[in-house]
Amino acid sequence: MVTLEQSRPAVKSKPQRRTIRADEVGVRTVVYGLILLGAAVVFVPFLWMLSTSLKQESQLFAYPPEWIPTPPQWHNYLDAWTALPFNRFLFNTVFMTILAMVAEVFTASIVAYGFARFRFPLRNTLFVVLLSTMMLPGILTLIPKFLMWREVNRIDTFTPLTVGAWFVWGPSFVFLLRQFFLTIPREIEEAAILDGANTFQIYRQIMLPLVKPALLAIGVLSFQANWNNFEGALIYLSTLEKYPMVLGLQFFGDSLSREAPKWHLMMAMATMMAAPILLLFFLAQRYFIEGLTVGGVKG
Amino acid sequence: MISWYAQTVIDYVVVGTVIVLAMLGIHKVLRKFGVGREAATGYALILPWIIGMLVWTIGPFLVSLFLSFTDYNVLQSPTWIGVDNYVEMFTDDRQFWSVLRFTLLYSLLNVPLGLFGALATATLLNQNVRGLGAWRTIYYLPAVLPAAATALLWRWMFASNGIFNFLFRPFYSLFDLEAPAWFTNPDLVLPGYIIMGLWGVFGANTVILLAGLKSIPRDLYDAAKVDGAGRFSQYVNITIPMLTPTIFYVLIIGVIASLQTFTQAFFIDHTRRAGTFMNVYIYQEAFERNRMGYASALGWVMLLIILLFTLLVFRSSAAWVYYEGERA
Repeated sequence: MVTLEQSRPAVKSKPQRRTIRADEVGVRTVVYGLILLGAAVVFVPFLWMLSTSLKQESQLFAYPPEWIPTPPQWHNYLDAWTALPFNRFLFNTVFMTILAMVAEVFTASIVAYGFARFRFPLRNTLFVVLLSTMMLPGILTLIPKFLMWREVNRIDTFTPLTVGAWFVWGPSFVFLLRQFFLTIPREIEEAAILDGANTFQIYRQIMLPLVKPALLAIGVLSFQANWNNFEGALIYLSTLEKYPMVLGLQFFGDSLSREAPKWHLMMAMATMMAAPILLLFFLAQRYFIEGLTVGGVKG
Repeated sequence: MISWYAQTVIDYVVVGTVIVLAMLGIHKVLRKFGVGREAATGYALILPWIIGMLVWTIGPFLVSLFLSFTDYNVLQSPTWIGVDNYVEMFTDDRQFWSVLRFTLLYSLLNVPLGLFGALATATLLNQNVRGLGAWRTIYYLPAVLPAAATALLWRWMFASNGIFNFLFRPFYSLFDLEAPAWFTNPDLVLPGYIIMGLWGVFGANTVILLAGLKSIPRDLYDAAKVDGAGRFSQYVNITIPMLTPTIFYVLIIGVIASLQTFTQAFFIDHTRRAGTFMNVYIYQEAFERNRMGYASALGWVMLLIILLFTLLVFRSSAAWVYYEGERA
């Protein structure tokens, strides 16, 4: 199994016994200083989001800005949640995310297996076609897709946002998984074939367990993409009760608090929408980063 | 209400079953026609993608090309008007030019700035710093935040009474300026988007470039040291050339993504005229003004622009991207 850490033997630098020169200390200080500065720039907006979400409306524009609201208004979260039917929005989001994610991961792994392990005429040409479809702007095919779903009466249903995933939504997932399948030695399968295993058994019992890190990587990426899918929801859904959370967030900002933006409630909603993704990131950080870097480094 | 979900679950199961049956079927048919076992299995396995490509990519692609030569408001059937949409776009539509200019400027500034910033940060993080994992997590956080939340957060920070203007208050009073709302001020909307875009993507680029830096074999540096190369010379002659494939990847992904900015822009404010992105404009024409034909024509122009940019990067890559050994 190839992971970022394992792909390269760790080269431990020799214990630094030599005396550290003065300019070396200077360089280290500058390096850490800059890294810390960058981290602050990245992190402060998050703190501001949290801080705002716990403020009273009257504290929003206080000068100088208050970073720690006293007392913290925890009920903002409840207020935001009940301002719109967010229980239902959450259910819709989870419903669509799970259906789409399962189909997407399943088909991407099968197609990747096909491209990685079987020789057939036109294989390389087809793979180049697959890669080049990644570059097509989604907006171009959006209008015809909308018209097609309209033909079969599926506008304002969850179907366009879930069922399409059976047809390999993310060519990049196929690419990523294929890279992983290619690293598995062929001997493992050949032994299984001699034992009389069929293609499905080999795929299910031997290949899938071996590429589990990659499956988890595309799993989290797919979860993230579907959880945040705004463009599709915006175009296909029009009944408020069918909205996912991201559309509820937009609806709140756009119509309910247009004149006097209720920033404290919007920040509370944004935090709640982001929370599951951030949590997933902390739990499965390795897979996020693996999914992100495989194209750039191993490609 | 239950029926909404039931209907989708039924659609989902039916389509899933049909695909699996089609895979088994194509395998049988191909075997009958004398195709070898391995090839038949291969075709069967990639079938979901083939169907998807034909039905959801190639088909819509052709339909969209056709629509771009028509006038179509969804209610009446499309009428052929030749190249009128394209003529209107280039001669009559003042908003098209401002949208195009804005989208291109954003991309041309955002991508290089993000790349250099990320390269500098990745280089810093590659200096054997302590707690690398923690730093990497912090830098990557903005990329995990949903685009919708990012946009709302920055809209709030850039509001006329937001935190950014608080920081600049002494500066404003010095020049007797009024605190601007960045995203509604025509002069500040571009810098506003660029700052937000950099914050969002720069950490992800840093993580990719850092992985690239870590995969450069150490013996190259050892050899250079023996030859007496200094730090700077090592960086220019080893690090940068070895990193060019990763830089190339970041560049391509960056160009494609930034030209297609949608969600952030929609959440900032999609109703005002200054600082509209191309994808938002296409959405407005198609789904708010029901001009499907015109929107399709805009989409095609967008596609050509993206192709042009990617082609430029690809063609130039021969001159600057270094692939170690020609991997067979």
